[in-house]
Amino acid sequence: MVLLRGGMCPGLEEDLVRDLRAADVKTVEDLVSSDIEELAQRCSVSFKALFAIRRVLLAQHTAFPVSGADLYEELLSSTAILSTGNPSLDKLLDSGLYTGEITELSGGPGSGKSQVCFGASVHISFHLKQSVIYVDTTGGLTASRLLQMLQSETSNTEEQMEALQRIHVFHSFDVYSLLDCLYSLCSGGLQQASAGGGSAKAVIVDSVSAVISPLLGGKQNEGLSLMTQVAGVLKTLAKDFNAAVLVTNHVTRSSSGEVQPGLGASWSHVPRTRVLLERVEEAAAASCSSLRFATLIKSSRQPCLIKEELDLQWWSRSQVEHSGKRKLDETDP
Amino acid sequence: MMQRPMCSLPLSPAVKVKLVSAGFQFTADLIHLNPDQLSGEAGLSREEAEDVLQAAGTGGPLSASVSALELLQKEEETRSIVTFCSLLDSVLGGGLPVGRTAEICGVPGVGKTQLCLQLAVDVQVPACFGGVGGQVIYIDTEGSFLLQRVVDVATAAVRHCSLLVEDDDQRAAMMTFTVEIILSNIFLVRSRDYVELLAELHLLPDFLSDHPGVRLLVIDSVAFPFRQIDNLSQRTRLLHSLAQQLAAMANTHNVAVVTTNHMTTRLRGGLSQLVPALGESWGHASSLRLLLQWSGSQRLATILKSPGHVETSVPYQINSDGFRDADQSEQPPSKRARTLPDQSAASQSDACC
Ligand SMILES: Nc1ncnc2c1ncn2[C@@H]1O[C@H](COP(=O)(O)OP(=O)(O)OP(=O)(O)O)[C@@H](O)[C@H]1O
Ligand SMILES: [Mg+2]
Repeated sequence: MVLLRGGMCPGLEEDLVRDLRAADVKTVEDLVSSDIEELAQRCSVSFKALFAIRRVLLAQHTAFPVSGADLYEELLSSTAILSTGNPSLDKLLDSGLYTGEITELSGGPGSGKSQVCFGASVHISFHLKQSVIYVDTTGGLTASRLLQMLQSETSNTEEQMEALQRIHVFHSFDVYSLLDCLYSLCSGGLQQASAGGGSAKAVIVDSVSAVISPLLGGKQNEGLSLMTQVAGVLKTLAKDFNAAVLVTNHVTRSSSGEVQPGLGASWSHVPRTRVLLERVEEAAAASCSSLRFATLIKSSRQPCLIKEELDLQWWSRSQVEHSGKRKLDETDP
Repeated sequence: MMQRPMCSLPLSPAVKVKLVSAGFQFTADLIHLNPDQLSGEAGLSREEAEDVLQAAGTGGPLSASVSALELLQKEEETRSIVTFCSLLDSVLGGGLPVGRTAEICGVPGVGKTQLCLQLAVDVQVPACFGGVGGQVIYIDTEGSFLLQRVVDVATAAVRHCSLLVEDDDQRAAMMTFTVEIILSNIFLVRSRDYVELLAELHLLPDFLSDHPGVRLLVIDSVAFPFRQIDNLSQRTRLLHSLAQQLAAMANTHNVAVVTTNHMTTRLRGGLSQLVPALGESWGHASSLRLLLQWSGSQRLATILKSPGHVETSVPYQINSDGFRDADQSEQPPSKRARTLPDQSAASQSDACC
């Protein structure tokens, strides 16, 4: 039993707690299991506000016995698709990164995984005004590159700074510190990161393989068990906290030169969607080194092996397109 | 709320077994215990119990995060290490970034060691000349660190700066920017094989804490000791953890980590290609990758990958003063004869693996 307290989540003010108590709603459990619409009327608070509070409390206290149907409804009403800002990539991903799911980018060195992560962070933070959690495990995150991408979106420095401020960066160079970080996100970190109530919608881990590969192949069991745990927390972040999780992975190459995402078979079940990034062959690339191929290699929505050409320079293109037809990125209520 | 299992903590397997068999499955089970109680209940020593509680109670949510805005401010305040080749500096946005990892790849004799020695001197350029004013740890695994060459490079750098002196600050700074002091600020480590190298790296974090002035760590080369490992899967695993160690060191101690790598031929689709050695996955290891190569009679430095720079090539040369811009005019072939004596040493060791 957790008693409702003022300030326990955004929007839950002392006044509202008093009103709720008067309506015999005293604990988190009471609130979660009550009819929000009726309660909103009795406490003369907006349905939307109460709904938002309930969602956060649900996320904070998932262990409460809530009916499956409620949860499902909750999920449906809050699934969002976060555009990456890049049309070719969005096309592959069927509009963008889905909240509630883990999406993976794999590719060799310099294939553009981090660039895609940068671009998506900037787009989510600047256009969707959502907080982004960026876990950097290789030290590759370059804020000046983020700024460069933002500069092609707006010339207003204040807006640029605000967008950068919504990107929360963690550095974790080994698996234990990654786990520390991910668990702390589960226990309140996601909400804390979010500026305007609710919780951060995007969690990026660039890269998972960097911290997991050092453990594999040696003391096999230890490594596999830690990998399973990383997968578990990422799934919790996606499913229970309804975040869009984006991870990057290395590739392995068979002797015939065929490329495959790293971390082996047991990891392959973790991401729902997998995209492989590759350089456009050397000869052609000489003129334009920022071109990449992106291939969809696993998806539950689209036929696999669709291939798109991707320009890493897209996010920092000099032409700012201020057209009114920028598509609606999010289906969130 | 998500329960964190004990096995996700960085503890020894024996301690984890004791905890779990005493009924402590999740970190939340430890919340109200003090070390004495825990050591009693789980049969741990008091030190072990303290370690467990410390590991289980690490920082509150988001304690460790910084915003990208703070990172940007930090990046803008951090000076880069100039290479003394102005073209390369400008494509790199000022030089080699401090706080990050970089790898220099290239065939024997193309100038990898020369660039490392140059950087070891350049990182010491005083702040009032726009330098970093830092110290260096130089790990030499190939025996290619030649003192006389460092003296030459340092002498040229000192001469260069002394010509720039304009104010009293700079005049004062020149008192501590002498060849002798430059040499004393290079902590040279020679390691003969990968075991010695890994042992040295293990000690480095403590050394860096004791020497907060260090801004550059050079390992010339990683390839030589690691190519001696025959067991490929062991080598790959060691390299993966080396990569993480170096990234962590660069980030926590705010040092530039520069490693060098050899080239190897790879056959793909009937075509043989010269690519950096140590396998493709090592390519992820450093965030910046530079390739030094010959193009006819000219030397080119190419950015192979960088999280913030487009891939570009610029010409450079190596002369008696060190690593420099290529001469404006087409280089007459005779100038190439100025290749330096220590490069034959480097290529000898390159050749034996
Ligand atoms: N400012 C820029 N403009 C255009 N392209 C850029 C820019 N900065 C970087 N790139 C391109 O992106 C490449 C680096 O890509 P990225 O850092 O995403 O690789 P990665 O897949 O994350 O590699 P790794 O696994 O090694 O981290 C550069 O080599 C360059 O081709
Ligand atoms: Mg990367």
